[in-house]
Amino acid sequence: MIVIKLIPHAVSWAVIALFLVRGFHAGRLMVIISGSGGFALGALGALVLFRLLPPESAFGIIRGGLGVSLLLLWGVAVMAAYRPFWKRTTYFEGTGFTVMCACLAGCMAGAVSASRLSGSGTSLAPYLALILVGGALASYAGAVEKRIPEWFIVGGPSLAAVVVALLLYGSSLSLRLDLFAPLTMKVMKFAHDFVHQFMESMLIPDHVFIRSNLWKYIGVLFGKEIGFWGALVIWFTPLLLIVYAIQFEPLPSVAHIRQGAERRRLLAVFIHIRRYRLIPALLAVLVLTAAVYRSCVPSVEYWDPKPIVVTATPVGDIFIPRKGDIDLEDGKLHKYLFRQGGKEARFFIIMGPSGKLTVVLDACAICKPDGYGQAEGTVICYYCKTLIPLDTVGRSGGCNPVPLAFSEKDDGVHINAVTLMNEWDNTVQTTTKVKGAGK
Amino acid sequence: MKRLPRLCWNLISSPFTCPSVIGIFVLVYIGIAFITDDALIVLMELVRRNGILVLLLALLPIASLARLIKEIRCFRSGYQISTGDPSHDGASLFDEAVELETAAPFDGIEETIRTQGYTIRKEENRLAAWRGITHAPARLIFLLATLCLYSGIFISLIFRTSYRGPVIEGEPMPGLSQDGGIVERIRLENGKGTILSKRLTIDVAPSGQGGGQASFGIYPPGLYQGSFVYPRYLGIALLVRFSAPDMHGTFEKHAVLNMYPAGKEAEVQIPESPYKLVTSLAEPDDGLDPYITGRMVFNVKLSKDKDVVLSGVLPGGGELNREGYCIAFPDYRRMVLTDFIQDYGVYFIWGALSLYGIALLYWLPVRVFFPRREMLFVRGGINDMVTAYSRTEGRERSHNSLFHNLLDMLDIGKIQPGG
Repeated sequence: MIVIKLIPHAVSWAVIALFLVRGFHAGRLMVIISGSGGFALGALGALVLFRLLPPESAFGIIRGGLGVSLLLLWGVAVMAAYRPFWKRTTYFEGTGFTVMCACLAGCMAGAVSASRLSGSGTSLAPYLALILVGGALASYAGAVEKRIPEWFIVGGPSLAAVVVALLLYGSSLSLRLDLFAPLTMKVMKFAHDFVHQFMESMLIPDHVFIRSNLWKYIGVLFGKEIGFWGALVIWFTPLLLIVYAIQFEPLPSVAHIRQGAERRRLLAVFIHIRRYRLIPALLAVLVLTAAVYRSCVPSVEYWDPKPIVVTATPVGDIFIPRKGDIDLEDGKLHKYLFRQGGKEARFFIIMGPSGKLTVVLDACAICKPDGYGQAEGTVICYYCKTLIPLDTVGRSGGCNPVPLAFSEKDDGVHINAVTLMNEWDNTVQTTTKVKGAGK
Repeated sequence: MKRLPRLCWNLISSPFTCPSVIGIFVLVYIGIAFITDDALIVLMELVRRNGILVLLLALLPIASLARLIKEIRCFRSGYQISTGDPSHDGASLFDEAVELETAAPFDGIEETIRTQGYTIRKEENRLAAWRGITHAPARLIFLLATLCLYSGIFISLIFRTSYRGPVIEGEPMPGLSQDGGIVERIRLENGKGTILSKRLTIDVAPSGQGGGQASFGIYPPGLYQGSFVYPRYLGIALLVRFSAPDMHGTFEKHAVLNMYPAGKEAEVQIPESPYKLVTSLAEPDDGLDPYITGRMVFNVKLSKDKDVVLSGVLPGGGELNREGYCIAFPDYRRMVLTDFIQDYGVYFIWGALSLYGIALLYWLPVRVFFPRREMLFVRGGINDMVTAYSRTEGRERSHNSLFHNLLDMLDIGKIQPGG
């Protein structure tokens, strides 16, 4: 099973190595060695992280590294777009730079691949096997690169685009490394705050005075769609900048040539090569699109049981037995539905990693109450796709499900119906009525 | 000693400066976003309090101004070159510059240029040709807009002062100054426009500071004693009178309650007692907005600790007596919770948005239909060399093709003088 999971990562690494060898002209062997070394370093680094730190922290560090790589791609893209103003172009060349880039790319690819082994215990053997495979793939990529035609040119920005796109694709295969979903949440929050601050700064009247049909359009800026589209902009803009920089690179000056045919030939050759140079950047666009797709439609199936309808005693006590048809201690999320006076409230009970039962609403304090599902040591908010580590379920704040007061006895869990309905009303009122709901 | 100012000028006026500064702020924002969900608000607060970030932010308008000055100079130089001022070296202002060793006169190419729709200015050793309209004005307006925008953001973020206070009928205008005029009337009407659903008018009598009669609406915000009047929420100022069987005496208090629209609840806590009064405007039977008509009826709910001990409906000015409890609202007035904001950055930001619009309206048709294309041929220097310059703001391929053909014609003329 693990081998199957690792196949896309292996393919990604092989393609990264191929592009590194083609992109850097400092020597095939040097790129292969530094890339493989980086891959080994990344895989071993991930092993150390998983041994020393809790899984969430280890994944957080690797995800942070991926975030930095996306930022670097932004930097490269902006510089590429500003290229016509750039007088000196030799800042980022040389053997040292090549080794560093290959090593960093390998390191991130190794760490992302090794994170797929985190569930297989802390044995060294699978990591060593992964490192050997990584080295072999890099060598193979070096051999394949010789057979690729010369016209397939990979410029610096295109190389960065392909490498980062493949790294992000690899990360999208794992729920806990995925960057796109948390990015949508951050963008959603930013859009909300920005619109609010802009309206206050520009003294624009609040919703009390605005026509409701117009406010519906403004409300779009507070919804999750804006998070998705905003994240797409952040995701793809660097690639589009790189495509733009290549496509609109100024033609070389041919005014000094006094033969029209020769001038036209030179310009045609330049335009022809320019088109070929677009191929890697467009390939990166495709890979990133696949990453977005994987993020939005993950292959992971969430555990999301149908809520069981429960009732309260005349004194308002809801009792859920510890063992029965459902075993509350099986580590799975168990959903319940309580109805009273035409209203209904959802909650779920789960046993956390510490072995304690937790009762929470199937809603958080900031999103629409779309509910939660469970996967890979986390629960996920369906509205904003935020992953909540199981050990933090039961704590309030952010997108965590709202904790509910309950009493735990030997036979099961007791919940006060009034408390449940009040908590649900307060939460749902806040997240569905205020400014179009959402973060 | 001249090198340092020049270096500073080059740094400040560089096209990289503003993007770099914005990049730093983006990085700071990302860093904050890892720690808190309210990253934008935290960043704004951080900028207000941190001297380095203030200086960094100030760099944005300064760099924009420097860029504007630099481009005005460039634009002026370009104009002077094409109009025949020999003191300017134009090489840096053009896309292409070529030197030709030819004695051929410019007469041979003049007709070709003219047939392509170019306007020509010819002097003894000089031929300038141009076609289309330059987008330089749009560029300068764009830079001016950017300068305004950055200045507005800077002023707004650093110098904005805000005071929130209730504007109540019959009471003096609140604000930083304690000498506000009396609010004569607050009127709310249904709006007829496509944007605002309500029309609010706050009429204020002349103040002691010599200000005249004033009237404020929702938008655009009016200025009162140097501050923008920014109505936020509507509510009612109530005089609440309350007594209970277990209380000594009668509680009386003016309460400013944010309870608009009808149905929205507001609380009045009775101090040093377990009582809390929850009230809201009752939905009127006639369906008209009570804030507009002034016919106000209140739903009241009195709770003691967590138990509701009394609830009922109380018309404005009326009294509710039951089970020893007495609740009365002898006085009620319209109230607008208002922000008084001193922020001159707003003018700059609105100005910037207008200028961006103007720049776009100028640039788009010019760029699409009449892009500027220029050529300059200058004879002079050692060996009577011809230096040819070319620049274009659009339709680059056809212009360059013409330019290159003209160079070829001049070059052929070298072999056949006068040809």
